[in-house]
Amino acid sequence: MKKKVLSVLLSTAMAATLLVGCGEQAAETAAPAAEEAAEAVEEAAPAEEAAAEEAAATDGATYAIVTKSAGNPFNERTASGFEEVITAAGLNCVVQHPESATADAQIAVIQSLISQGVSSIAVAANDANALTAALAEAKAAGIHVLTLDSDVNADSREVFCNQAGVQEIGQTLLDAVLDLTGGEGQYAILSATSQATNQNAWIDAMKSIAESDEKYSKLELVEVAYGDDEPQKSTDQTQALLQNYPDLKVICSPTTVGIAAAAKVLQDQGSSVKLTGLGLPSEMAEYIGDDDAHSCPYMFLWNPIDLGRLAAYTSIALVNGDITGATGDTFTAGDLGDYEVVEIDGATQIILGAPFKFDASNIDEWKSVY
Amino acid sequence: MAGKSGREISAVPQGGIKKTLLSWEGALLVVFIAINIFGVIISPNYNATNVLREMQKYLAEVFIMFGMGFILVLGDIDISVGSIVCLSATMACLSGNAGLPFPIVVLITLGVGLICGMINGLIATQFTELPTMIVTLGTQIIFRGIAEVSLGSGGSVSMQDVKGLMALGTKIGPFSISFILVIVSAIVFITILNKTSFGRKLYAIGSNKTAARYAGINVEKLRFICYSLIGFLAGVCGLFLLASLYGANTTTGNGFEMEVIAMCVFGGIATTGGKGNLIGGFIAAFVIICLRIALGQRNINTQLILVIIGAMLIVSVVIPAISGAITAKKKRASVN
Repeated sequence: MKKKVLSVLLSTAMAATLLVGCGEQAAETAAPAAEEAAEAVEEAAPAEEAAAEEAAATDGATYAIVTKSAGNPFNERTASGFEEVITAAGLNCVVQHPESATADAQIAVIQSLISQGVSSIAVAANDANALTAALAEAKAAGIHVLTLDSDVNADSREVFCNQAGVQEIGQTLLDAVLDLTGGEGQYAILSATSQATNQNAWIDAMKSIAESDEKYSKLELVEVAYGDDEPQKSTDQTQALLQNYPDLKVICSPTTVGIAAAAKVLQDQGSSVKLTGLGLPSEMAEYIGDDDAHSCPYMFLWNPIDLGRLAAYTSIALVNGDITGATGDTFTAGDLGDYEVVEIDGATQIILGAPFKFDASNIDEWKSVY
Repeated sequence: MAGKSGREISAVPQGGIKKTLLSWEGALLVVFIAINIFGVIISPNYNATNVLREMQKYLAEVFIMFGMGFILVLGDIDISVGSIVCLSATMACLSGNAGLPFPIVVLITLGVGLICGMINGLIATQFTELPTMIVTLGTQIIFRGIAEVSLGSGGSVSMQDVKGLMALGTKIGPFSISFILVIVSAIVFITILNKTSFGRKLYAIGSNKTAARYAGINVEKLRFICYSLIGFLAGVCGLFLLASLYGANTTTGNGFEMEVIAMCVFGGIATTGGKGNLIGGFIAAFVIICLRIALGQRNINTQLILVIIGAMLIVSVVIPAISGAITAKKKRASVN
């Protein structure tokens, strides 16, 4: 009997210490994780602590950003840009990375933010419709809701901060494919998950543009492969594409994880297949070049840090009542300049700008930026 | 503290308040209360309204936990439940969007779950030499595959008419329908496992299948029933998941099997069969849910929360092992 009492006490004590310990040191232990993510959490936690201590005595507003998942370099940089603007404005910032890249995981985070009574939630959605109920609850609780990077259906949020217009991206990517194939031949697309809203929109745009103009008629899209934004799966998918389509000329990967994985495969194998798409300069620098030793002649991206900053300025404008997210609303996003809410396909959005081209001539100066 | 015969039938719960408090389930109850106190201390927003609202998302999984408890007591395992959730939710959306009335959609959701469970049960009982882990690994891939094929290229479907789903999400007082159903199910399933001959037979099978067979228990029939039950409960989970997601996609239900197994194991139900109490799994489920909510409200890194839950799981299986080893050592010493 003594042993039983002992084991019960022991287990309770261990659980209690574990919990208390974690509560105190959560931020520190997170340090070895991806730099930006950890930084964000470290900075967010004390900010929250401070807010909690003031115990709502001040109406110190808290602005939250919910990314797609941890370990997504693009999202982490977006979050850092968001945080920079919010903290510079003297407001509290919460950065939350869901435990997996699913809408389900994002709902848990959003529900928690509703409990905390934040002022606004900016979310990069993992699914266009699945967040509807959770975001409706947030709205009902008086929280301003906006999306960035990847949208939800227009009724569920006030405005969408779009990195670039869908048509512009589709056009840019397809023109790159046309250029790299030399005007004709097979190409494949390596995407993220099959339900990623933005990926699907860009791919659909590429397909429809390809049909609309005669000059693309000799291009053949052989497959849209899904690497699920996981490096290993993206690598496997790239190898499968090379094996299945010996005549493949170009792979276009409109996701930062996919393009980095594909770039490594192609370069390591010395493949003649060329790569383009959307990638992070810092991750892609060693693969970008005009000669055959490099797998990627050029690629595109917008500035994820600026996207985060735009979302932050938009959040502040919504909370302050400067804009309501209606078409034609204008506001100034700090040094980013003036922006206007426009409506595209029935969705109100703020467009950051056109995609930026990275090639051998400018990659060196950008690779240290992000 | 062995019984009079010198042996302990650890599986059979015995009375006595003192004994209850000192059991694993009693310890869990203490931990549950401690976690709630901890939650109130660390977060100013940890109150009944917020916790009940946030809990909604996790409750769907608890339904499967009851079924998993039955399966684990049998000494079996079912890792296909996450895929069953995905398939039943997908079929619900597709049938709802095809214009079928909501009650029919509900029946289809539950029916798909039940049929999937029956398929598992049929394979597991017809080919008894196969490990159930492998059988359900196979059906896991098949069920999710069917769901993905049905979902088509977009990989996502959403319910167009959400009136019925919204009704499922309504609250009676402060409690949601799913919360009340979880409590009712808990009472029903715990009673079945602890107080009926059906439940005792499951323990007998889990402890020693051959002996149970010689004792005249229709082992395969009971296993089939349990597999059908967990499939049905996965359908229930799919239904309530829809009430918060309004749709299904290829990741719906991902990892649910592991989460419910974790709840059961943390609750003291042994994966080797014949041991444990569903009350433990039930309390453990709420320990994990409340811990997630409390840490979430402090914006603790979600990955770190997973680490903490994993650590708790390891601790929960290590403690009985250590105390068991000590007891065994002492016994040996006293014999010598």
